[in-house]
Amino acid sequence: MVTSIAQKEFVSIRRDRRFVVLGALVLALLLAATLVGRRAAAAAQQARAAAQHMVNEQFRHQPGRHPHRVAHYGSFAFRPVAGLGFLDAGLNAYTGTAVYLEAHQQNSVNFSPAQQAGALLRFGELTVAFVLQTLVPLLLIFLCFGAFTEEREAGTLPLLLSQGVTMRQLAWGKIVGYGRAAALVVGPALALAAWLLAAGAGAGAGPLALAGRLAMFALSYAVYFFVVIAGAVLVSAGQRHSRTALVLLLGAWMVGCLVLPKATANLGAALHPGPTKAQLDAAVHEQAQHGLNGHDPQDRRAAALKDSLLRRYGVATEKELPVSVAGLTMAAGEAYSSRVYQRHFAALTRTYERQNALSAWAGLLNPYQAIRPLSMGLAGSDFAHYVHFQQAAEAYRYQLVQRLNALQAGMGYGDKERRLGAATWRAIPPFAYQAPGLGWALGHLLGPALALLLWAGALGWLGLRRLDKMKM
Amino acid sequence: MRTFSVLFYYEWRHFRAARGLVLLTGLLLLVGGYGIYYGTTEIGRQRRHLAELPALARRHAAELQAKFPGPADAGEIGYYHHTFAVHRPTPWAGLALGQRDVHPYYLQLRLLGLQGQLYATENVNPTKALSGNFDLAFVLVYLLPLYVIALCFNLLSEEREQGILPLLLAQPVRAGQLVAAKLAFRGALVLGLALGLSAAGLAWARVPLDGRVALWLALVGLYGGFWLGVGLLVAAWQRSSSFNAVVLLGAWLLLLVLVPGLLNVYVAAARPVPQGLALTVQQREAIHGGWDRPKSETMARFYAAYPQWRDTAAIRERFAWRWYYAFQYLGDQSAAPLAGAYAGGLRQRHALGAGLGWLSPAVALQTSLHALAGTDLPAHLAFQHSATRYHDALRAFYYPFLFRQVPFTHADYARLPRHTFTSPTDTGGARAGLWQLLLGVGAVGAAGGLALRRPIRPR
Repeated sequence: MVTSIAQKEFVSIRRDRRFVVLGALVLALLLAATLVGRRAAAAAQQARAAAQHMVNEQFRHQPGRHPHRVAHYGSFAFRPVAGLGFLDAGLNAYTGTAVYLEAHQQNSVNFSPAQQAGALLRFGELTVAFVLQTLVPLLLIFLCFGAFTEEREAGTLPLLLSQGVTMRQLAWGKIVGYGRAAALVVGPALALAAWLLAAGAGAGAGPLALAGRLAMFALSYAVYFFVVIAGAVLVSAGQRHSRTALVLLLGAWMVGCLVLPKATANLGAALHPGPTKAQLDAAVHEQAQHGLNGHDPQDRRAAALKDSLLRRYGVATEKELPVSVAGLTMAAGEAYSSRVYQRHFAALTRTYERQNALSAWAGLLNPYQAIRPLSMGLAGSDFAHYVHFQQAAEAYRYQLVQRLNALQAGMGYGDKERRLGAATWRAIPPFAYQAPGLGWALGHLLGPALALLLWAGALGWLGLRRLDKMKM
Repeated sequence: MRTFSVLFYYEWRHFRAARGLVLLTGLLLLVGGYGIYYGTTEIGRQRRHLAELPALARRHAAELQAKFPGPADAGEIGYYHHTFAVHRPTPWAGLALGQRDVHPYYLQLRLLGLQGQLYATENVNPTKALSGNFDLAFVLVYLLPLYVIALCFNLLSEEREQGILPLLLAQPVRAGQLVAAKLAFRGALVLGLALGLSAAGLAWARVPLDGRVALWLALVGLYGGFWLGVGLLVAAWQRSSSFNAVVLLGAWLLLLVLVPGLLNVYVAAARPVPQGLALTVQQREAIHGGWDRPKSETMARFYAAYPQWRDTAAIRERFAWRWYYAFQYLGDQSAAPLAGAYAGGLRQRHALGAGLGWLSPAVALQTSLHALAGTDLPAHLAFQHSATRYHDALRAFYYPFLFRQVPFTHADYARLPRHTFTSPTDTGGARAGLWQLLLGVGAVGAAGGLALRRPIRPR
């Protein structure tokens, strides 16, 4: 029974000129967004890879230098574009792309696309994810708002029910029929994305991991569209007039896609204010200078280190030491200040996560706010992935500087007068960022995934069960 | 005229009876109030942070004074001491935050090469930046049209669907009069709300009363007028309410989502700015190359730019601060063409986007409001320019110490140049937006007027 209702809906949708035109428009938009997104992502990736290659070569080809000079020369880390970034740009426009890695300090990640764009960017980017999250639901609303009200207005509902069909069967049939129509619009774009991925495989993360991400991506949207269709059909079943159903659904769309995300993000930021860069830098500097507890100043730590070295090697003066005190002091200072920085960075990240938590909870109220983090998390362009990159860059900076400090320490007394040969720099591995795998990403996405499934369960089970109790 | 006022009065009674619309109006007022509150508190927070900066700089100076109790080498002070270049908001900024959340509103500067410091980023939660700001500009640009749509989607079609229209037209009322009264009522409501919210916002943000106030109100009024015109145009089509709702929402999507999105793609492709990454790398290469080049070569190039220091003592030591800062300066010089191209590219990007505002009144309004509030990309570029000049002033302050080898005393900290910069207001940009909006209003007004020439069908 359900299948024949679904078939009837599917056929009548395909015969509806309005839907064919709108559906074709959305499909064209999706395909265009896929291709344009792919091109933009490839261009950005190419520019960053070229820049990374250039700085790596520059590092390798340094002349003979003192290691601390090299530590100040430093290197850069360029953030690669995430594997599925062309489908969901996520935070990519608002996160920096390049960070300068040098001794003594942690720099900000600079040159975010948002800083290089006019106000146009703030209208939103036309990515595949944007079309899937906001425009396809709108199309589905236009498709579904009359699911029951039209039957009611045409007087066909009692006829249908008198044939022994239950309201629930009818609703399921309609949901399946509309779902097939949605698949017809969305499917080709995802197939194109899969084909592009397969054709361009080998760039960045392994193709298998990307295929897994794409499969989860498609699955999440399938659940999301089910939620939208089931919700719209249920609203239509509860209303007498098509017009009221449409107005209600459009209102829900506006609140869900436009007002709530912005309002919760703003409220979260207002509730948990974070430190400015100047405050953070001052606090890090303060604690690195005077010790984490405020009673352990840097010069006293340095003096203690020197004394312990003299004792350990059983010598009276710095001159007789086989190691460079300056190098070891620098290493100890770097270790200490990095520890301080890590603490503050972790606190800042926690503050931002707390700010975002309100939006995450809103996912329980608003399916859009569940699919959005899920989608960008799977695409690899969310906050967790960004923090992962920042930490990888900082880890590389730290080990690079400490490696150079160790080289300096090994040079012994009077190291400042000498240089190490050019071959030394070629032995140091360059920065190579490995994006985290699907399992890692999923671990961060349990909340939104659960919220979406909860929606699907609530609508599919509880909502439809209520239909049978409804009086016609 | 009497019929008109009767019709107008009945529109008012009709509106009062429609609970949904009254609720929506209240909601818009509430949301507008929140937008004003949010935007102004956000700017208030930025102001507070800016006010804390001098204390941070003083604390830092005190630390250096403890580290160097006697007269110090100015090179050391220039190396360690941070000063701040600050970008103060206009009072208008609270109403249209624009790009002030993604651009840093102050910079920590040392005497080192500027290009390595000029592009530092403020701590920003990217998730929040993605969601954007809930300021008054957002309410006006995005939500006001939706309110107009809710008011206008059943203009005439409701009466027709309820079967009242034939009865109405049987009275001694001309159809044109009926439409005019309905539109006038909605226009009064929409403009009253938009201008009232704006006036409340302007008062709350305590903006100075000058020509900009009139410009803001004119921009907002025209934008409201544009959407009323769209409503009229669709009503003149004489289709069902559902059809009207779909078409109006389609227009909203087109003008607020699709056109800006496509423009964004176009502008980014037409005006690429690849220089950002390149200039940072270039300046590092030039600066660090300074260590490896002969000192005489570095100094000769430096003296070509600063001939006044040519006759100072030649450098014989292994290290001298004036040599160090000379190659820092030369690093900036070598990145200058790239930096200029970068800033120029960004300016062109903005100009291209703003020039295409006639394609979407939403783009025109948003660009104009940001220009008026001094929160757009050109305002940030102007701040960067001002910070560059400030850094030049720092150099000019330190160079006599370095080249004449004058010791830096505790009293000299207070003589360090300070910086302040307040966003410029680009009234020219806002006026250009006004013309673009006028064009839009004229287009929909003319089309609506033409469409209304057709007789109105009673059913």
